[in-house]
Amino acid sequence: MKLIKSIVRPNKVDEVKDALTKIGISGMTVTEVRGHGKQKGHTAIYRGKEYNVSLLPKMQIEVVVSDSIVDDAIKAIVQSARTGEIGDGRVFVLPVEQTYKIRTGEKDSV
Amino acid sequence: MQDPSSIPATSGSGAGLPIQLEEARRELRDDILRGHGGRAALARFSDRLDAIVRHIVAAAPPTPQSVAVVAIGGYGRRQLSLHSDIDLLILFGGHLGDAEEKTLRAILHPLWDLGLVVGHQVREIEEFGRLEVDNPEFLMALVDARPIAGDRALFDRFESAFHHAGTHAHVVGALNALIDERYALFNSTLYQLEPDVKESPGALRDLTATRWIAALTDPSLIRRGVEDPSKIEEAEDFLLRVRSILHLESKRNHNQLTHQLQEHAADILGYPGAFPQQRVERLMSDYFRHARVVMRSLAWMRKAAPTPAGLNLGRTSDGIRFIDMRQAVVQPATWLAAFQAAIDHACPVSDSALAAIRQHAERFRVEDFFPTPAHRTALLRFLRPAPGLYARLSEMHDCGLLGRMFPPFQAITYRVVRDFFHKYTVDEHTLLTIRNLERLATRPEPDRQRFSSLLQDLDAPELLVLALLLHDVGKWRDDDHHVESVRMARDMFGRIGLPQDACDTVEFLIANHLAMSQVAFRRDTEDPEIVRTFAELVGVEDRLKMLCLMTLADVEAVSLETLTPWRAELLWRLFVDTYNHLTMGYGDELIDATQPGNAELLAHRPADLSESDITRFLEGLPRRYLRLFDSDAIYRHVRLARDIRPDEIHLSMEQKGAAWELTVVTLDKPFLFSNISGVLSSFGMDILRGHAMTSPNGLVLDVFQFTDSERFLELNPGARDQMFKVLNDVVSGRASVTERLRGRARSLFNRRPRRVTPVVHADNTSSKRYTIIDIIADDELGLLYRISRVMSQNGCDVDLVLITTEGRRAIDVFHITKAGRKLSGAEQAELSAHLQRVLEDGYEAD
Repeated sequence: MKLIKSIVRPNKVDEVKDALTKIGISGMTVTEVRGHGKQKGHTAIYRGKEYNVSLLPKMQIEVVVSDSIVDDAIKAIVQSARTGEIGDGRVFVLPVEQTYKIRTGEKDSV
Repeated sequence: MQDPSSIPATSGSGAGLPIQLEEARRELRDDILRGHGGRAALARFSDRLDAIVRHIVAAAPPTPQSVAVVAIGGYGRRQLSLHSDIDLLILFGGHLGDAEEKTLRAILHPLWDLGLVVGHQVREIEEFGRLEVDNPEFLMALVDARPIAGDRALFDRFESAFHHAGTHAHVVGALNALIDERYALFNSTLYQLEPDVKESPGALRDLTATRWIAALTDPSLIRRGVEDPSKIEEAEDFLLRVRSILHLESKRNHNQLTHQLQEHAADILGYPGAFPQQRVERLMSDYFRHARVVMRSLAWMRKAAPTPAGLNLGRTSDGIRFIDMRQAVVQPATWLAAFQAAIDHACPVSDSALAAIRQHAERFRVEDFFPTPAHRTALLRFLRPAPGLYARLSEMHDCGLLGRMFPPFQAITYRVVRDFFHKYTVDEHTLLTIRNLERLATRPEPDRQRFSSLLQDLDAPELLVLALLLHDVGKWRDDDHHVESVRMARDMFGRIGLPQDACDTVEFLIANHLAMSQVAFRRDTEDPEIVRTFAELVGVEDRLKMLCLMTLADVEAVSLETLTPWRAELLWRLFVDTYNHLTMGYGDELIDATQPGNAELLAHRPADLSESDITRFLEGLPRRYLRLFDSDAIYRHVRLARDIRPDEIHLSMEQKGAAWELTVVTLDKPFLFSNISGVLSSFGMDILRGHAMTSPNGLVLDVFQFTDSERFLELNPGARDQMFKVLNDVVSGRASVTERLRGRARSLFNRRPRRVTPVVHADNTSSKRYTIIDIIADDELGLLYRISRVMSQNGCDVDLVLITTEGRRAIDVFHITKAGRKLSGAEQAELSAHLQRVLEDGYEAD
């Protein structure tokens, strides 16, 4: 099992969700986050004053998937979140050792 | 001095006045000695004095101005005692000139010759337009004003100028302070062994104060007071009889009931007793009994009286209430004033008033609440974001008034729309949006400061509140609620007499209230095309600010969790990018023949304008021009531009509210903008906002809005022509603006302490054609002249200018070129440094 954590543009969330749903992944956690990568923000000007917008609003989408569909999931995320411009985001893949359903205490298999 | 509408004057010659006065005094003395120098005797004496005053006024020479002679204070109450001052207000209908001075002398000298002590106040009627807060005793004396002679209509004008809630509240406040001060002098006790029958607690001043407070707040209080009104009248008569004796015995205006005078008074008033001490004790026992009635009445009155809060409105511990409920329930047009007063006094509307409104609201239609333009203006004032607005609107909603005043709102009362996000009924969501705006206006959270500053910038924030109030009314249906909201709102606009430009703004906001959140949260705002399209939708900065605030307030009112800092940031970024596009990118978007809107302008053109007149004028102006001006203004501009020749300047000017608007059309030339702004400054005009535009063929259109604090244009009949002539002379080079400005050098160039740190920002990236200079500085006379002159001195052409004033800040955006191209980095740096120097250090001479 893997945890796929993607940081994407806010306006790409719906497209990523649709792409994941299409390959059978429906459970996910979406969080509003702020940060920067290589993009490092930019300088904005308002009424003659410059200010640095270093932490940019992004969306974080987390899904836990079985090893067999990790590649498909990553492909779906990258294709749907991509614009080709700086700031498209990142995908991180982390191993997951165990998952449990809180309601029943039952050990889960993805 | 005769006037058909005058207060009747007595006939006869003035020669017998001393005899008349002496007869009046003898009559009063006789009354006093019989122990009857009370209310009736003093009223008779006052009437005799009235007759004498009328004789004198009738004999005075006529004046061009109307005049009224008014008894005030004790004389006004017809309680003139033997040696009281004669307090008079001599009121003139206009400016006091030589003729009025002469009349004044002709009134006062005979009174003085009679040996009367006259306390006179002379006023022009216009002076009652402002409250004499430093003269509380005079204001109180005016409460008892009674016309004696002269023009009755002038007296009526005085009454309507004086009697309004603001004055009443001030007088009651001042009166309460004076009562406390006076009580302190007497250790706050009425039980004085030698009381002053005028000043002591429980004496005549307290009695007058009791009546004044009732008259100024709620006249029915006298009837409902802690003491029976007949007991108060009895006390008054007693105190006046005693006071009359004191005047008679001491032969002067003396009011202290000393031990010695107590014996005289007891004898005159016929108190029984074998010894003087017994008679005095009985007198003083009566005195304390009456004084206690008076003091208790005043204490109750001070507690019970509402603070005057408007016509038929008073503030009590329960909040704002109607003074006369029966009158209020049949006058729905006065109801909004109760809620406005509650906002002004930072208190609720009382339960009694809300209950009355709840009971009667159903009987009235929208037009009954807003029957006149003044009522409709009051509605817009009420809707300005202020502390308490949400609470008052909630009260109005709870008592059923909001739905009667705004029938579309009735449609969403208790309306439930189920979705994943909304936590409240539609009506409460709507009111919460207004609460959110109110918080931004009054106590914004630190992370909301930037949005709060947008709200402060708005000229008409009440339109935003109106839009919020109506934005979701279409949710009574299940589909496309913003379309239905617009339809329902349009119906309201006519009923509340909203001006057309305000209708357009509110309609725009309602129709697009979801647009900004959709773009900010669901589109890629990094994409300049997305920003450009959104900028196209909003058109101008004011609408952008309103839509941004509307979105913020709306999202925040969905639930406690909806407006996260993340969303607020997205919204702000879209705002900034769009604002920058509107103010810095508009120079690249020019009107061409295919521009939408051109066809409509051509189709509806007036008969005197040809198609080519219009297309020639529009071609090459920024597209922004079409969003800034309506078709009537555009046709006016086309006429001004028609057949213009070099060195000509075509001008028009009109008053717009408190400001003036000057439109200038000419052909471009060096120093043009600084010359025009310099001429306006040389006449003392403070430029608030405006637009300067230059088309590629050299046609210049400048529109300035300015204030005329010295009222030059208003007070001087030929002022407009004079200003136009100077503009012509300066622009054509026949006169120098620098010369004209020398006379104003002191006010223009001697700087006040700086409030805003000046900012100069040069930008070469936002526009393909122009270098953009953003300037933020203190708003002060001559600022534009100084800035633009520096630009011209540096060889720059000022092509486009946006002039804005927000509070004390001037925010000006210049689009400039040098020899037809953008400035180089070095040129930008040099110009910026020069501008910074001028803004920081003051004026640099040529």
